[in-house]
Amino acid sequence: MRRLLAILPLILTAAVVYILDKPMGSIPALGRLLDPMNGCWASAEPTGKDFNQTIQLQGAQQPVKIWFDERMVPHIEAANDHDLYMAQGYVHAYFRLWQMDLQTRAAGGRVSEVLGEKAVDFDRLQRRKGMVYGAENSLKAMEADPRSKGMLDAYTEGINQYIYSLNYRSLPLEYKMMGFKPEPWTNLKCALLLKYMADDLTGYTEDIQLTILRNRLKQNNDMFNANMLFDRVFAERNRGTVPVIPTDTVPQPASLKAPVAPADSIMCVPLTGEDFAVNENEGKGSNNWALSGQRTKSGAPILCNDPHLGLNLPSLWYEMQLHAPGVNVYGVSLPGSPGIIIGFNDNISWGFTNNYRDVKDFYAIKEASANKYWFAGKELTYTKRIEEIGIKGMPAYKDTVRYTIHGPLIYDAHFLAPGKLKIPLALTWMAHRPSNEILSIYLLNRSSNYEQYVTAIQQFLCPAQNMLYADVQGNIALWGQGQFINKWKGQGRYIMDGSDSSTLWGQNIPVRENPHSLNPAQGYLASANQTVTDTTYPYWYNGYFYEFRSWRINQVLQRTTAATVQDMFALQQDVFSVLAANVLPVFLLHMPMQTLSNKEREWLQHLAGWDYRLTKDSKAATVFMVWWYYAYGKLATVGRPDDLKMSPERLMELVTGRDDIPYILDEDILYSSFKQAADSLEKLKKANRVEWYHTKNTTVKHLTKLPAFSYGDLAVGGWGNTVNAVKGDHGPSWRMVVQMSKGIEAYGTYPGGQSGNPGSKYYATFLDKWVKGEYYRLNFIPATAKPNDKDIKYTWTIQP
Amino acid sequence: MQLLKYIIIIAICASIITWLMPWYMAAAVAFVVTVNAKITPGKAFLAGAGGVGLTWLVVALYRDIPNEHILSGRMAKVLGLPNGFLFLLITIILGAIVGGMAGWSGGVMNKAFRK
Repeated sequence: MRRLLAILPLILTAAVVYILDKPMGSIPALGRLLDPMNGCWASAEPTGKDFNQTIQLQGAQQPVKIWFDERMVPHIEAANDHDLYMAQGYVHAYFRLWQMDLQTRAAGGRVSEVLGEKAVDFDRLQRRKGMVYGAENSLKAMEADPRSKGMLDAYTEGINQYIYSLNYRSLPLEYKMMGFKPEPWTNLKCALLLKYMADDLTGYTEDIQLTILRNRLKQNNDMFNANMLFDRVFAERNRGTVPVIPTDTVPQPASLKAPVAPADSIMCVPLTGEDFAVNENEGKGSNNWALSGQRTKSGAPILCNDPHLGLNLPSLWYEMQLHAPGVNVYGVSLPGSPGIIIGFNDNISWGFTNNYRDVKDFYAIKEASANKYWFAGKELTYTKRIEEIGIKGMPAYKDTVRYTIHGPLIYDAHFLAPGKLKIPLALTWMAHRPSNEILSIYLLNRSSNYEQYVTAIQQFLCPAQNMLYADVQGNIALWGQGQFINKWKGQGRYIMDGSDSSTLWGQNIPVRENPHSLNPAQGYLASANQTVTDTTYPYWYNGYFYEFRSWRINQVLQRTTAATVQDMFALQQDVFSVLAANVLPVFLLHMPMQTLSNKEREWLQHLAGWDYRLTKDSKAATVFMVWWYYAYGKLATVGRPDDLKMSPERLMELVTGRDDIPYILDEDILYSSFKQAADSLEKLKKANRVEWYHTKNTTVKHLTKLPAFSYGDLAVGGWGNTVNAVKGDHGPSWRMVVQMSKGIEAYGTYPGGQSGNPGSKYYATFLDKWVKGEYYRLNFIPATAKPNDKDIKYTWTIQP
Repeated sequence: MQLLKYIIIIAICASIITWLMPWYMAAAVAFVVTVNAKITPGKAFLAGAGGVGLTWLVVALYRDIPNEHILSGRMAKVLGLPNGFLFLLITIILGAIVGGMAGWSGGVMNKAFRK
């Protein structure tokens, strides 16, 4: 008995060890995590770590040299393309593996495998959107071309060699905290990452809301107002735009005839809905502009780009230089994809902003007998795709997604659309189609003149981008590049009748006919997600365009001469609000001052003499933006669906009388919204957060959303309606200015750091400069030069 | 003196073994050493706690100091602790508890089966 009892402590100890070795819900296995030898402590990277190393990589054909400079930007020099992309894959994985893994899981709807049941709805939506289907289609196109296939195979091999070298101790910290392990990388994951970008940039849609609104007006027999509303307020393109393509551009004649639009009931199906999720749609996007030599001090073109994307850590971008015979390119890459996405080489530079033409349309599907649906008077059979969603700690969930001639049924009785719509909706989306953006990047990185550039970007089909160009010969150019469809007027603005064959997407518009401009008379080109063309462009399109930043950039560039790179920095940091400058004087004019309390009047006094700049410390900016927030919510709503609001641009034009629509500003709304604003401002005052940057609270969030790995309350001005579009969680994700002089002069910064490891000193190294609006001089090594010894901090040698 | 000897033996063995094997092998080391040692269960607890705790302290400091406390500071914040030192302390306490329990188990077993 005594001996039997003596085993009890051992059993107790074993139980404690067992508990500490098992994750409990979202709490990680504490014993494993805290173990200083192998757990989280192993990610504590010495601040003076010597990164020099020699790596044996199987499959490398020749030795590869990688120089890291002071900022840990790698400069890879390889003897051939294969080794170049293999080394790039290895470097990406070395610094960013967990992020690459998580982002591609998110793209492909595989988050539940690591987060459990709570992510199942997210995963289902990703699968039903056809993310994996689209990635598989694109992968076929990528693997059909030997250049892109070679690039992907080598890149994937490089990532996998790094993954195979890992043990538990050397796993990135987040794997240990979330309790999963990396799996082998595949080319499909690269394709998924590009679809993730396509979803981020072309996923936005108002088709369902606009359909509801149109139906409501129709029921009220209010077609006069309906037409007026859809022509003027929810116009397919913004009216007061300064378009991306300068208006004196002579468009290429259309080679395709416009198709005939069907009846109204086919263009827009009758339906009703309720309970829509709130749409947040104020001024996201990106800027790029290029000045020709006639407007710069040096006489060489200057190209600038700041793509606005989610502000995350590890950053979406990873800065690097790739050098091999035939290619020498510097810029930012996307960990998870080979090549340089935005950057420059010895001859050309390029930058992207989102194009926002609508390439995502919905169809109401009429179900027929079992497993069939109606199309063109016939019953067609659904193609079924079983999506198996793995769930951590539970059996897998099987979702059957039915595919129609239009595309997947994103919503049906098993997965309701927003508004609890009962009818099944099919999705046609450019991101489903096979396209080879990787080849485009491959060719772009190697382009040395305008013709090669144009050939390179023809392969870039989705997400459509405004692709800006400048070269050392002095040319500037811009293409509204993507694959677009020759649509009938109105096609895809609303949910279409999927049983009618006239609603099917028609012919591709030849990409050579995409809107473009080369060396325009105005001496500059600028895009900031505004409407792409004026009405001389022969094809019909709609989209979700933004104008504030474009108005401001055009206003500044029109009067810019002898520009320096410093002037361009200043424009990227510009926080002048066109919205405030136009709307506020009208608001103040109509404000019933006599009804205000003393406290409210005090708040209003902050606005006296304000320069309309959303600077970081401005209190006036806070007063205006809070007031605008409440006023816009009411003034821009046209009734049900209540989440459908006219754009702030449109409201501004109505309020300021720039349009010929008579508009009476409702003084009651102005007053009541100011009262609400004053209440909010009092609360901010109590919390000592009236300064604009405190109020907006810009936060660069770690992908897990853990505050401990994030940086909040960043002291930076601006908002979506200013050029420096720093919002709460979106903003300039890479700022670049390149002067195309002999000996390229390039500057850049991004809100993050080269290392994805929260335990590394390189985790958020660039954030401070980004917040202050400062730039690094980029250390580009020309193809004919060798790096300076003083610029090299560490060297990696890869041996076959 | 004897206690110190066992603490050092456990610390050295635990360091080597957990470099190669999972963390809980530190507990196995504490148990194996104390089950073969002629010490009271109380002292066996102290030997295990001291041995594993010492290993964890030294290794954690070895990681934390050259890192200038970046990681410990962040992990402390994850757990809602005010600073990285407390995270270090919790780490060591956890190691000491597990080591101590394993040592105590060995000590009790040794006493029961001792002829």
